[in-house]
Amino acid sequence: MQLSDRITGLTLIGVGALAAYGASRLPPMPGQDIGPSVFPAVIGFGLALCGALIAFGVGRSFEEQAEADFSAHQEPQERSSDVRSRFHGLRALVPVALLLFYVAAAETVGFVPVAAIIVFTIAFALGADWRHGLALALLAPPAIHLLFSKLLRVPLPAGLLPMPW
Amino acid sequence: MSTFLDALSLVAQPDVLLAIVLASIYGLVVGALPGLTATMATALLVPVTFYLSPIAAIATIIATSAMAIFAGDIPGALLRIPGTPASAAYTNEAYAMTRKGQPELALGIGLWFSAIGGIAGTLSLILLAPTLAEMALNFSTFEYFWLALLGLMCATLVARSSPVKAIASMLVGLLFSCIGMENPSGVPRFTFGVVDLLGGIEVIAALVGMFAVSEVMRAMVTPPPPLMARRRFGSILKGQWALTKKYPKPQIRGNIIGIIIGVLPGAGADMAAWVSYAMAKKFSKEPEKFGTGHPEGLIEAGASNNASLASGWVPSLIFGIPGDTITAIAIGVLFMKGLNPGPTLFTTKASSMYAIYIIFIIANIIMIPLGIVMIRIASQVLHVPRALVVPVIALLCAVGPFAITNNPFSIVTVAFFGVLGFVMERNGYPVAALVLGIIMGTMVEQSFVASLIKSDGSLLPFFSRPVASVLAALTIGALIWPAGVWLVRYFSLRSRPAG
Repeated sequence: MQLSDRITGLTLIGVGALAAYGASRLPPMPGQDIGPSVFPAVIGFGLALCGALIAFGVGRSFEEQAEADFSAHQEPQERSSDVRSRFHGLRALVPVALLLFYVAAAETVGFVPVAAIIVFTIAFALGADWRHGLALALLAPPAIHLLFSKLLRVPLPAGLLPMPW
Repeated sequence: MSTFLDALSLVAQPDVLLAIVLASIYGLVVGALPGLTATMATALLVPVTFYLSPIAAIATIIATSAMAIFAGDIPGALLRIPGTPASAAYTNEAYAMTRKGQPELALGIGLWFSAIGGIAGTLSLILLAPTLAEMALNFSTFEYFWLALLGLMCATLVARSSPVKAIASMLVGLLFSCIGMENPSGVPRFTFGVVDLLGGIEVIAALVGMFAVSEVMRAMVTPPPPLMARRRFGSILKGQWALTKKYPKPQIRGNIIGIIIGVLPGAGADMAAWVSYAMAKKFSKEPEKFGTGHPEGLIEAGASNNASLASGWVPSLIFGIPGDTITAIAIGVLFMKGLNPGPTLFTTKASSMYAIYIIFIIANIIMIPLGIVMIRIASQVLHVPRALVVPVIALLCAVGPFAITNNPFSIVTVAFFGVLGFVMERNGYPVAALVLGIIMGTMVEQSFVASLIKSDGSLLPFFSRPVASVLAALTIGALIWPAGVWLVRYFSLRSRPAG
């Protein structure tokens, strides 16, 4: 997700403007000039200003210096890792999708099966062979369930597969 | 004296001692695994601290962070991959030493001087905290406003990125802190009709997302670290005493710089290591040896990053302004445990304060034996493939924040901040500045609005009180400084003749 400074800068201008607009529509505090809108409005203006500066490339030189400094201290192979397929970057979204899947499914399906799917998918995506991945998916979720629901008394959803403890 | 004895009895509880030992082991393992940071280790620990006694909870955070920062040196020296970002500054140097056949020396330096740095940092905490607390008792909302703003500005100044982007990150963080109805007038803001947002952004969930989920995401797109050949080590501590006597100056300088950077809000162990390594090279009598496996830089930076850990607690305990990302998490735990940060902690909870000192000293002492064991089994620990560690962490990212709120919405928060942290990191927006903004937003706003109401909308009192005016000058200076540096650089480039 390498975006140009122009895009992130414009996004920040948008967010800042929206914040200032949203703040201006907040109800005032009766009998008081300074209400809930002052702080977000100030931030909104500041953000829009920063966004504009970033879009025009102000402060870029500081970043280049830090980058040069950092890459001098880094493994060369780590730097060239981004040149694979175009969809390679989308792999980063796998954990996020799995977290949202957990929110959607855990209540009905239960903690242990959903957790097993999450663990197996990520292990597999990271290159574990299916036997190791399966072993981890069978062992880790019950262990975490035991720790959190038994010792820490967190009400993890039981769903279809309630644990014996 | 009786307070000290009280503190000692607080620490000597079996649950506290057990917590220190277990947290140390956890910190050593997580710190040694490349890609897992000390901040992430601490963030994932918070749900567990929820169920511990206050002192045990703080002990786990202190022990975990101290051990993780040291353990980050292990893969740095053996694989040339820093275990935590705090070791990145001197990874090349340590690895060069290993290539020269001195891995024991490199790891020993990491261990020995980390412990010394940690103890120096603790001393600074013991000395600085009460003095500052006495000063802070006279502060009004004007001073607190400037102090909070100065803290935020410092965090943007020291970020290794463009200052404009750092300020933008911080403002986004402040904007997140506006969400909900936790504001002076109690009006719901930016909730978009979502009931779960009325209480504001769940800070722990945001931190887990920023520091753990984004790390899991990064693991998905980077190749796994190489496995390490199994090796046996000789004596780890041999020769360390000689080095301590040979290089007193780098050591002391490392400790002091670490302490200063730790006290500065938002700047932590990684920054301390970078600055100290650069300082060591600058002031060394033999700078040409740097990068070839020379101990001087390792000593200075290794001491510095651990010293910054303890001093980071100074502003956190007294003002509620986090000294680094780890104490940013710790502040949340302090509030949760009824140890609300503030200058009055010394009068109302003096024994707890002393207990924190004692825990720091214990943690830095047991670091040496535990660290030696860790170094000896490092090749086994580093043999655990990443594909089997990361999935468990991903699962903990879901369970941990849920354990605190019992609300599935916090997992959505985790996912959101994971994506945000990942995208920001990739595009040069410092994550620490945003986190600081989220944590300090309420304090900045409350002191700002309360001050404005007191002064009837006039800005004059913000500058007329003596301490406030000094803080204001510092804050404005911090804002102008990068612009000045940029202008000087710009004109020196232009005045240079072409060709």
